[in-house]
Amino acid sequence: MLRKPSIEYMQINHFKNGLLIALILILCGCSSASLNDLFNGYDQQMRGVKQSQLQGNFKQAINLIPPRSSNDSSYSLSMLEKARLEFLANKPEQSQQDFEQVYNVIQKSQQAAKFQLSRGVENFGAILSNDNVIRYDIPLYEQSMLHSYQAFNYLQQKDLSGALVEIRRANIVQQQALRDNLGSIYNVQNQLGDNSFYFDDVANRYPDMSNTIGKVKNGFQNAYTFFLSALLYEAAGQQNDAYIDYKKALEIYPENSYLQQDVMRLATSLHMTDDIAKYKARFAYASSTVDNEQNQGQIVIFAESGIVANKQEYSMNLPVYTSHDDMRFYSVALPSYQNQLKVFSPVELVYQNKHYQTEEIVRIQSLAAKSLEDQLPAIVTRQVSRLIAKEKFREQAQRQGGDLGNIFANIYNMSTEKADTRSWSTLPDSIQILRLNLASGEHQLELNVNGKSQVLNVSIQANKITLVKLTAIGSFTNYHTFNI
Amino acid sequence: MNRLFLVTALCVSIVSVSGCSNKSVVRYGDAEAVETTDVNFGSTDLQKIANQMADSLVLSPVVGTATENNRPIIFVERIKNKTSEHIDTESVTDSISTRLLRSGKFRFVDMGSVNAVREQLEFQQNSGLVDTSKAIAFGQHVGAQYMLYGNLASIVKSNKDASDVYYKFTLRLMDLKSGLVEWADETEIRKTKGKELVGW
Repeated sequence: MLRKPSIEYMQINHFKNGLLIALILILCGCSSASLNDLFNGYDQQMRGVKQSQLQGNFKQAINLIPPRSSNDSSYSLSMLEKARLEFLANKPEQSQQDFEQVYNVIQKSQQAAKFQLSRGVENFGAILSNDNVIRYDIPLYEQSMLHSYQAFNYLQQKDLSGALVEIRRANIVQQQALRDNLGSIYNVQNQLGDNSFYFDDVANRYPDMSNTIGKVKNGFQNAYTFFLSALLYEAAGQQNDAYIDYKKALEIYPENSYLQQDVMRLATSLHMTDDIAKYKARFAYASSTVDNEQNQGQIVIFAESGIVANKQEYSMNLPVYTSHDDMRFYSVALPSYQNQLKVFSPVELVYQNKHYQTEEIVRIQSLAAKSLEDQLPAIVTRQVSRLIAKEKFREQAQRQGGDLGNIFANIYNMSTEKADTRSWSTLPDSIQILRLNLASGEHQLELNVNGKSQVLNVSIQANKITLVKLTAIGSFTNYHTFNI
Repeated sequence: MNRLFLVTALCVSIVSVSGCSNKSVVRYGDAEAVETTDVNFGSTDLQKIANQMADSLVLSPVVGTATENNRPIIFVERIKNKTSEHIDTESVTDSISTRLLRSGKFRFVDMGSVNAVREQLEFQQNSGLVDTSKAIAFGQHVGAQYMLYGNLASIVKSNKDASDVYYKFTLRLMDLKSGLVEWADETEIRKTKGKELVGW
């Protein structure tokens, strides 16, 4: 015989449901992801911004960034986007301020308590709605890029020692990452307990990203930052520090001939006899001659190409068993990257009838994909918990409100099922370098960027480095020179 | 039911009260009080460095003989910032040179104001507004005999329990004529911040 639910039981359930809805509303307000974030993916919100960026209209792009309050869960991300666009729009002071603000947020979260109640609230909110409620933790590759751009902002204001501070911060990020990341990723899976079969189910259906990731071994080792660091150390006369960072960059990009030459050059001038022997055996051309010619300076070109692609939402249907052992299909949304890399042709420079080509130093798209892959276990874990919570919620709603409750719950569940597609999406896709000795004086060099020729005016000082930051986004090409 | 209502009401009132009662108050504090807001370079570190360096320089026997009959002229080169923080090292050297000047044993030339001085002298000489017989002529400045320079380096480490920062400040005094380093000293500072276990 069926037991009739008593009135008290009904009331408590009513109260429970009311509490649940109230909680959802509070969470939306409190951890303050805007409602927009709950129902619209970040990739959709950034579409206009990226469109303007592709056209080189950076001011418009800045204005199109969705406004966020300072307690918004994606506030630091939107500051990153803004600072990057301000950097492109050649406003170093503003860009510097905004980057500094993001850095302060990172610092704060690093020194925060071990167990943060606010994070618990966010996670709880994420289980009831989606991952966009969780505050955006800036991934390590984005942190190292932040410091690199910040270094350029200081260089633009002719503050080499300020730039070096940023470089040291970037190095601290990478050191800590190397130490912390070992083994921390795979602990998550154990938390699931009985429901771990859902985990494997999700993981098996997840789209492949291996083409995008390529040869990248981890999501934080950024050869570009190391190279920039080495360059600035060299400019500051700290050859030994420079040598170490050139070597680190070379470890990540062993085929880059400019890095090979730099390592060789400094090994020779620092008399690292063991290393010289080692590298001579490794590099084909084995030139150990140091260019000691007088009245020569160096030009180093950083060519930034394209914009990173956003994470995309990937939906899949997963079967979930209700408490009556019925099977119901649930749509699950996960973030993913396209499994292909854009091809960028190298920038070509013509000097004294010789052609020189840039070589890749970082593929940010690959770093992004790799760091998403590293986060996946945690994302999938939350996703599975969410699946179970939402099914429980639906059951409750059905028990309370019959079909109407069921429909309401289903609509809520479906409309809140949004993947967390947040990432710093105004970064360049690929960065390439070129290094060349030039006679001191004014030069008018011919560059070939994506089939279009561009004239580059630089002044080279003897025994000094001239940095050229070349940006080629879509139809937009521009450059800045820094004498360091 | 009633009890649940009571609990909810209590929670709401706690939240609203804690929100409202947070008034900020302005107070004057002791400028030399120990400051431990965070592990970053702060006023206490600056004062500690400046005090120790100035004392060490004034009390060192080498300097004692050099300052016996005259007051040597020093110029301050910059302190190289080798830390991972944007520290105003000029403010450190300002504190040190002020203390040294106050001791009455040294005199300083200020390289930072050279341009302003030149402008002023040019104004006196060439503007036509100043009585040239009383104007200060060029070429009467006294050159420095010693150079003060140094480094500020740091090692920063952190794990999930604590963050630790170590500063080392090195200061040297060079005789510009002979190129000899007549005096050097260093100060070390270590700061550790343990993380709270639970926080908002």
